[in-house]
Amino acid sequence: MPDFSPEDNKLALKVVFYGPALSGKTTNLMQLHSLLNPERKGELMVLETRDDRTLFFDMLPIGLRSRSGLDLRLKLYTVPGQVQHDSTRKAVLSRADGVVFVADSQVAQQDNNAIAFGNLEDNLDKVGLDIDALPMVVQFNKRDLPAVVDEAELQARWAGTPWAPLAMASALQGTGVIETFRTLLDRLYTGIDAEFDLAGKHGIDRATFIGRLSASHGVDDA
Amino acid sequence: MRNFEDDPTLSDLLTPDQLQRLSNGLSALCRAPVVISENRAGDAVPVEFNLETVGWLSGGASAVERGAAAELVSFLMLFVAKYRLAANIHHDTTEASYAELQRQNEALRASEAKYRELSDQLQQKVDEQVAVIRQTQQELYESARLRSVGHLAAGVAHEINNPVGFISSNLRVARDYVQNLEPLLPETAENRELLEDFHDLLNESIDGTDRIASIVADLKTFSSIDQADNALCDLNSLLRSACHLVQTEHDHRLNITENLAELPRIPGHPSRLSQTLFNLLDNAARAVGEDGRILVRTLADNTGIQVIIQDNGCGIPETIRSQVFDAFFTTRPVGSGTGLGLTVARDTVRAHGGQLTLDSQEGAGTRVVLSLPVQQGS
Repeated sequence: MPDFSPEDNKLALKVVFYGPALSGKTTNLMQLHSLLNPERKGELMVLETRDDRTLFFDMLPIGLRSRSGLDLRLKLYTVPGQVQHDSTRKAVLSRADGVVFVADSQVAQQDNNAIAFGNLEDNLDKVGLDIDALPMVVQFNKRDLPAVVDEAELQARWAGTPWAPLAMASALQGTGVIETFRTLLDRLYTGIDAEFDLAGKHGIDRATFIGRLSASHGVDDA
Repeated sequence: MRNFEDDPTLSDLLTPDQLQRLSNGLSALCRAPVVISENRAGDAVPVEFNLETVGWLSGGASAVERGAAAELVSFLMLFVAKYRLAANIHHDTTEASYAELQRQNEALRASEAKYRELSDQLQQKVDEQVAVIRQTQQELYESARLRSVGHLAAGVAHEINNPVGFISSNLRVARDYVQNLEPLLPETAENRELLEDFHDLLNESIDGTDRIASIVADLKTFSSIDQADNALCDLNSLLRSACHLVQTEHDHRLNITENLAELPRIPGHPSRLSQTLFNLLDNAARAVGEDGRILVRTLADNTGIQVIIQDNGCGIPETIRSQVFDAFFTTRPVGSGTGLGLTVARDTVRAHGGQLTLDSQEGAGTRVVLSLPVQQGS
């Protein structure tokens, strides 16, 4: 849920990168950190890892300040994907405003994707969020690997869900990461604007919201 | 409660001692003392962490120095905050896991208690059922025995009926013959005495056969050999037969007063009702002893029939009053009572949709009221 502090005129949003172990959540965040050039960008905090596996979470804060003085913050989190860190996943997921589900495109990982998605549903339920109402993007990562499920097949499989069309990415190569993030910002904007009247009160319309939060190096606008 | 993700303040990240030490270190590096504070001072520059201004740094000899010092502090904050965030989420998840464990533990306890209770109830139910089965078996055995005895008695009665019939009729004819012979005999004192004696012998014999015939009739009523299992019963006649049988059992020494009102016939099981009445009368007879009185009354109103059997005998001591309906409970010497009399009586009355109530006072007597509805379901 958005965290608005009227005294500071500050609105903090939370986006969580969820998904099975080793699907590339942290890589997504690292790429966003290096590719994005939003108005304000904090340090990427990689909290603690063991053998390159996330133990707690990673966090990247970005933000913008509107002409009206609204201090809009977006904190991007990843969860640890390994099964045993479920309580940490739940803690990170609580009060999320949007979710990027990072799935692994490899044929052999489809079961793990399904298990992680079920886990996401369960945990959302436990922290009091509704998966059907929550802005969410499903990204199939690792498109650069050889044994991946065909994109057409994946798109067809997910066509009937609220999360179609899927985002395709190769986080390691840096492709599709910003597009995924922009799709999420687009879906996120609808609810936030309805609640806080971003366009009317703060002069932040949809294009501004997406463009200023996801500006990349060299290119100024989406 | 603060969430692990809430932006930390300066005091969350560093203790006053650490802050002081940091200030001292920076002061030593700069050409003028440096102060880090949560409040903004004149020439202060912000110390940022995660886009958040956590504090203000003032002092130093120049803006460059202040900027460099603030940058250094921000850099340090990153690592302090990392540790803080990791510790916070660890604390949060540990607490959540512990709460979850406690909840599970409680649920487990509750379910264990529930199952224990269920198991106890089950054991109790099994015990009750076993008791019911045992009692039913005994009653079945008892009623089968009574029935076979009843059949035997009825069979014997039927067989005796014929010879008693012709003996009785022959005796009456013989008495007529003796009267006819009287004028033909010489008129002597010896003959007259002989004839009178003969007369008396025949009359006594006729009385005897009448009594045999009446006992036979009672036995037949009692065992209801001639009746269907379910018939319209005249409780008064069943009661009279039962009284006669009890008298026979007790050598006709009982003082029984019958006060019977006119009763509607009710559908029922005559032999079982007879058995019940006999049991109740037999109990009364045993309670009164030699010189007691037994009062038998029947009443009827539009709801039902009442049979009241009252005695002025020894009564039932209060200590055992709650047990008298229990199967196999008896106060009589081993072998002379089954402990089933009242049990069978109450079960029979209940089977007829009625009620058996017992009023007793030790030393004063007992009153048994048997109520039966006129209209019955069965």
